[in-house]
Amino acid sequence: MKTKKKIIPRILKGTRDFLPAEMTRRNLVQSKIVSIFERFGYDSIDTPAIEYAETLVGKYGDDGSKQLYRFEDNGGRDVALRFDQTVPFARLVSANYSQLPMPFKRYQISKVWRADKPAKGRYREFTQCDIDIIGTKNLLAETEIAKAIYLVFKELGFEKFVIKINSRRLINSILDFLKIEKEKQPAIMRILDKLNKIGRDGVTQEMSQVCDVSVVKNILKTMVLVGTNQEKIENLKKYDIAEVEMFLQLCGDAGVPEEFLEFDPSLARGLDYYTGIIYEVYPQGVDIGAVCAGGRYDDLCGMFTDKEISGVGVAFGFDRIVVAMEDLGLLNDVKFNSDVVVAYFDEITLPKSLEVWSQLQTAGINTEIYFEPAKLPKQFAYADKKKVKFVVICGPDEVADNAVTIKNMETGKQKTIPQAQLDKYFSGYTNL
Amino acid sequence: MTSENNVRIAVQKRGRLQDPSLSFIRSLGFEFDTTRLGDLVVKCTNALVEILFVRNSDIPEYVKAGVADFGIVGENVIYERGENYKVVKRLGFGQCKLVIAFPKKLPRREIKDLQDERIATSYPNSLRKFLRQNDVSSSIIEINGSVEIAPRLGLADAICDITQTGKTLSECGLKAIATIFESQAVLIESPFNRKKNNIVLERI
Repeated sequence: MKTKKKIIPRILKGTRDFLPAEMTRRNLVQSKIVSIFERFGYDSIDTPAIEYAETLVGKYGDDGSKQLYRFEDNGGRDVALRFDQTVPFARLVSANYSQLPMPFKRYQISKVWRADKPAKGRYREFTQCDIDIIGTKNLLAETEIAKAIYLVFKELGFEKFVIKINSRRLINSILDFLKIEKEKQPAIMRILDKLNKIGRDGVTQEMSQVCDVSVVKNILKTMVLVGTNQEKIENLKKYDIAEVEMFLQLCGDAGVPEEFLEFDPSLARGLDYYTGIIYEVYPQGVDIGAVCAGGRYDDLCGMFTDKEISGVGVAFGFDRIVVAMEDLGLLNDVKFNSDVVVAYFDEITLPKSLEVWSQLQTAGINTEIYFEPAKLPKQFAYADKKKVKFVVICGPDEVADNAVTIKNMETGKQKTIPQAQLDKYFSGYTNL
Repeated sequence: MTSENNVRIAVQKRGRLQDPSLSFIRSLGFEFDTTRLGDLVVKCTNALVEILFVRNSDIPEYVKAGVADFGIVGENVIYERGENYKVVKRLGFGQCKLVIAFPKKLPRREIKDLQDERIATSYPNSLRKFLRQNDVSSSIIEINGSVEIAPRLGLADAICDITQTGKTLSECGLKAIATIFESQAVLIESPFNRKKNNIVLERI
């Protein structure tokens, strides 16, 4: 007999399969994040995974262009996979401007693709999770983003985290004051952004190649500060600090507790396009880096239209957040979707089992029926493997009494109650 | 007629806390016409103070909403709502306990025997908290009154209810196996209108 040659069931480097255990955790995290976005009145949008290459090419700097998944499709078109959500969002806004309310805010959670070198925690296919508010320059938008960040991490169960904030306007005014030429400022900011990674000495060394060592000393003396937010503000009064002051005031009024907000004048964000308030969020108790970042930008849609649209937004690092939560034990008790398996006892009692199955589903209890009239231990084993908490049995005795037997798979305890009380039993159960 | 300038104290419309609540108000020197107690609002005759007669379980809501400046209510009601209220004074009357009870005829039962059982109660939140603290999972059957007959009717295996002397429980063939909390009447204060409230606070 000839066996057909089998294909190895493998996946591409930098991509992942998610089995139910992991997917259940990811879905829970996503639904909690979304619930907060929606509490602020955000709606969602989606864009195609695949775009004309010209839409995406040249938007992400030299490194980005190299990482773009770009190819010719079957019709000979030059196409590319979504690299982030921001550029497709800008295209969508430009194409649909007249239909959108302004200011416009949206959340978007979808997969993006980058032909990056895979490393621990870095994938070629991963999920981005963004909120943006466009069409207003008012600091209330920045405040709302800060409040949303605060509530998202609270909702996810993080007890301690810090939302670091700074202002690009402030950085620029400091660098202007220190007489650093405009063209050199982006480079300075990119180096400053590495302060956490390479430390003060590393930054000093790299910056010395851009400007004078004495100037570098001054930059660090001015921008690397310790103390309370208010003390730092007092120290920087001669620069363009008004935005930071007003923003922190608004955050306080909006109910973001002060201990979660840290004004860090050295926070820079590497990307060139930020123009105002910037954010980075760090959870405490787990060494994973920033789990959320973003800021104010002007001219979102410049590459597509003459309309100048300012906005503010942040990206939540979905994969990192999941890893951080796993490390902190916040996802230990996540359960699968099924709460009850109704056993298939035999052909005669099957109608009653189906009735019970419907009864529980009507009451909103996630319930499945076993598909074969197998021996009960086999049905119990199925429930165990799926971590389903309860099996409900309707055998001949139960049918005769209009009763059902409930078996708790965790405790092994069995209990027989009237069928009429079954849905109440589960809807009142304390930790279903 | 009520006036915005009057201090309002919410008390039980009917029930065991009403009499001692009125005595307490009287003990502060506020006088009122006792023949008018059927009214919803009774004005004190010697001060800008009004007594509101409302349902027991609504008293915290009136106080929280600032409709009443004070309320006299059992701690059990507050605990069940799971909210924080400013307690001005514990009043030393209306003592009771929230207990869990099984039928007496069963062999000796403990808290862990509640696992997977049906427990009838009007205090689902207090019970849920207690069960969680004791690492027990049960089915909470929520009913609004006559909780103590639920086991006899086959609706529940145990109950969780308020008791003062334990007499009703015993008459229904039940025996308490655990106390969730002990409660008494307290005077709670609304977070609003502190200044106006002084007329009452000064006398306490």
